[in-house]
Amino acid sequence: MTHLPLWFIPLFPLIGTILLGTIAVVSSGAKKGPSEGLVGTLAVLFPALSFAVVAILACSMPEAGFRETLCNWIDIPLFRADIGFLFDGLSRIMLLFVTGIGSLIAMYSIGYMHGDRGFARFFAYINLFLFSMVVLVLADSLLLTFLGWEGVGLCSYLLIGFWNQDIKNCKAANKAFIVNRVGDIGFLLGMLTLVTIGGSSLLNYDGLAAFINMVIGAGEVVELVLPLSLAGLLFFIGCTGKSAQIPLLTWLPDAMAGPTPVSALIHAATMVTSGVYLLARLSMMFCLLEHVLLIIVFVGMFTALWAAIAGLLQNDIKKVLAYSTISQLGYMFMAAGVCAFDASIFHVFTHAFFKAALFLGAGAVIHSLAGEQDMRRMGGLINKTPVTACVMIFAFLAIVGFPGFAGFWSKDLILERIFVSGPILGPIVYVVGLATAVITAVYMGRLIIMTFFGKYRGDKETEEHIHEAPAVMLFPMVILAFGAIFSGYLWADSIGLTFFRDSMASVVGQAQALYLAANPAAHVNPVIFAALGTLAALGGMYIAWKVFSRARIIGVKGASTVPEGSAASWTFLWDYIHCAFIAVVNILAWFCDVVVEKVLQAIQWTIAAIVEILGDGASILQVRKVRLQLSFSVAGVALLVMLVIFSGGLV
Amino acid sequence: MELQPLYIQILALVIFAIGIIVAVARRNLFFVLMGVELALNAVNLSFVGFAKTLPAEASVTGQIVPLFSIAVAAAEACVGFAMVIMIFRNKESVDADSYSDMKG
Repeated sequence: MTHLPLWFIPLFPLIGTILLGTIAVVSSGAKKGPSEGLVGTLAVLFPALSFAVVAILACSMPEAGFRETLCNWIDIPLFRADIGFLFDGLSRIMLLFVTGIGSLIAMYSIGYMHGDRGFARFFAYINLFLFSMVVLVLADSLLLTFLGWEGVGLCSYLLIGFWNQDIKNCKAANKAFIVNRVGDIGFLLGMLTLVTIGGSSLLNYDGLAAFINMVIGAGEVVELVLPLSLAGLLFFIGCTGKSAQIPLLTWLPDAMAGPTPVSALIHAATMVTSGVYLLARLSMMFCLLEHVLLIIVFVGMFTALWAAIAGLLQNDIKKVLAYSTISQLGYMFMAAGVCAFDASIFHVFTHAFFKAALFLGAGAVIHSLAGEQDMRRMGGLINKTPVTACVMIFAFLAIVGFPGFAGFWSKDLILERIFVSGPILGPIVYVVGLATAVITAVYMGRLIIMTFFGKYRGDKETEEHIHEAPAVMLFPMVILAFGAIFSGYLWADSIGLTFFRDSMASVVGQAQALYLAANPAAHVNPVIFAALGTLAALGGMYIAWKVFSRARIIGVKGASTVPEGSAASWTFLWDYIHCAFIAVVNILAWFCDVVVEKVLQAIQWTIAAIVEILGDGASILQVRKVRLQLSFSVAGVALLVMLVIFSGGLV
Repeated sequence: MELQPLYIQILALVIFAIGIIVAVARRNLFFVLMGVELALNAVNLSFVGFAKTLPAEASVTGQIVPLFSIAVAAAEACVGFAMVIMIFRNKESVDADSYSDMKG
């Protein structure tokens, strides 16, 4: 073996988890917490080591990637699974930014969590999250991916409810966990469907690709489309849960109850994109399933549009970013739905940078305002926190798709791929996507204007304490801001840079070629799309400037940041729909409780009563004289023997 | 005259019946145990009696089994008497009818 073993990558965060967990448990009883310097160093060191391993492997990776089977996991008749790792073009990109951004955010958290009682516990969770995420991405089979999938769900739960003294945080954590659980059922059933179709070898990604190739070669696609569509749909349900798409998207805005670095790492950059990752991993299967792809496109489109409008109505700075994350994820799913998996992963990649930068910037703002999250009580911060403001403005330009910034390249690519995907459907989805881009620019512009421009609207007392974040927080933010500016140049089609596409080609290239063969794309000049995208961004920014820089925003006194009136009904639309579903289930549960269980119990009781009465009667025969009992038993044996003899013997 | 197997069985039956009757009718626990032993030995006798009806090589089995059951009976008698003595120390009585504490 000439390269580093792949299991080094998850190993380091695992060691970090164990060490930090031990420190957290040991120091939990002590009056003073553990040394923050030590804990912080450990917490950054292990993800950084992991990142170094990934970087070394990424440089030396051959075209086909590395494959490594660690050991056997499950081996029973009809089912066999190995613990194996797969490092190829797709997992390389994902791992690079998961471990890289993970290390940066761990570093940022040292400043953000300073003085918190659960300092060590927080970093133990972060390391556990990185471990699970690495397993999710690096796994070579769906089963191991599912292990990581559950692991990140658990860490998300633990970190949303990190400040568990507040019941609201605990409720948000429960909501995230339970809604994700609904999606996980889809994932599990999808795996089951695949195993039913072709045995446990289909759970392996290579095995699945080989199977699909065999099916295409034998010309049996038509017979298998139906069961495969079922599997694809179930997997997509899993993705909607993890990636917060319609209908399972309500948990993500609530998940903002967690500490802001968690929102940046888990609920913006990495975990929520694992749904997109899964679609790209299963690209060979999805490229055959036209109907499922159609569903994905529409779900992505509606999610992007709905979340963008909901983002426009929020007052909480983190909620705006949460809805914008949902909206951007919608773009990724739209791209996946037209089989443009490389474009969707590219958007995952650029989005990770600019959204993490936005969240970290928001965190720095909240930090400097001593926990204030309501944008109506901010304003004019550009003079007081210039570095944070610059980082957020760069990230803002990236997310709205300002020419030259990261989001411009990836979003335009997605919109272009959508437009050329079909004669009727393409333009419709394209127009909605473009409208969403305009709204994105509006609400992001609103966020920037309300936070950094105008006059400060909070009370005087906090104004004196506003300060720039410490260097340990600023450094990761600046790095991410550079990422937000330059990461788009890995695949800048218009100026001929296609490094990203080439590195993804070995994974999703075949699937996309198959799709293109079935749905030939019209050729359109990419400059037109770039111009339209730029126009959308500029238009949105102009609207935001016109509307929000003049509007007098009243500095509110109340504590609630929840939108009111029609804004609330739009924001909580999906919560209401969920409630309707839950009501139906409650009625069913009531029915089961009252009718089924009570009736069954009545029958049970009746039988029990009869037996008891019979037993009471029989126990009269049992007397307290030992000799009489013995006589009875001898007489009984004699009776039995006679019965046997007179009935003709045993034979 | 050759000893008929049937007579052996009749004798065994009579001894068994005496044993059971003693075990049931007597109230003294020692007699009860003696009756049980008697019934057990009647069964051994019946075994040997049946063994006589078989050809010589097969009949060995029927003669060996009583040897085992005699050994087991000895062990059982040990335990039984030990128990009787223990109960006697508690109750100051060997009357079987007074042993009715288990409320059966």
